[in-house]
Amino acid sequence: MTPAATPLTGDARILLPPAIQKDAVIYVRALVAHPMYTGMSRDEQGALIPEYYIKTVDVTYGGHRVARFQWTSGISRDPYVAFPLRATHEGPLHIAWTDIKGRVYTQTAAIAFGG
Amino acid sequence: MDDRESTGRRSFLRAAVLGVAALSLSGRELLGAARGPGDDMPDAAKKVLREHFGTRTIKDGHVSLDLPEVAPDSREVPIFIETDLPMDAGHYVKAIHLIVDHNPDIYVAGFELTPALGKASIDTRIKMRRSSQVRAIVETNTGELWWAHKLVYTTLNGCV
Repeated sequence: MTPAATPLTGDARILLPPAIQKDAVIYVRALVAHPMYTGMSRDEQGALIPEYYIKTVDVTYGGHRVARFQWTSGISRDPYVAFPLRATHEGPLHIAWTDIKGRVYTQTAAIAFGG
Repeated sequence: MDDRESTGRRSFLRAAVLGVAALSLSGRELLGAARGPGDDMPDAAKKVLREHFGTRTIKDGHVSLDLPEVAPDSREVPIFIETDLPMDAGHYVKAIHLIVDHNPDIYVAGFELTPALGKASIDTRIKMRRSSQVRAIVETNTGELWWAHKLVYTTLNGCV
């Protein structure tokens, strides 16, 4: 992967199915660009790259927390996660990724019926 | 690293992976990989289990774990964890824990869930340092623990 092709750290996407029926269980796919350094890799000069990874992921739906993930640097670079969600009501699905430097990356997608 | 997409290296890797897999049939202990369910679980991994679950019993069942037998890229090993346990207000899966026996960070991730999800499953990608048992432990709100595990062969250290 060339540096030019690498998206900016923190670029985040939420992918929802094209049509959502009320009360159906849908699968939410979420991606965020992040290096997820373990602290064990080296740069081109041979110096250790300090560990730097996303530690927590908070998922809220209509303002209520529905899931929370605790990660380590054992999750791959540019973390991908997919999880189910029962679409009981229309409202925002919000995901916040927080890394160990305290930087928070967020993304919101609208759960809407029909489509 | 830059030429990792080239077919030459790809096919070399594939041959190496097959070689390692074949070798392992005769001498698994050479690879230091665990053979069965809980048996050769390394002490460090047992310690992680104790820290998270104390002396609680973890039972086989209710968890399905989808992972490749041989990981072509140990920096990105796809993993899908699913359970048939209920996801109702009264009985639900509170968390899915992911453990890789031979990783530097043995406890790779914990996924806290709620009944609002309607089902309990997680699909993600993990790094693996070397061939290892990968374990998914499902914890219910009533305190039950269920698990599944699978041995995954890798070639290169993916913990970068």
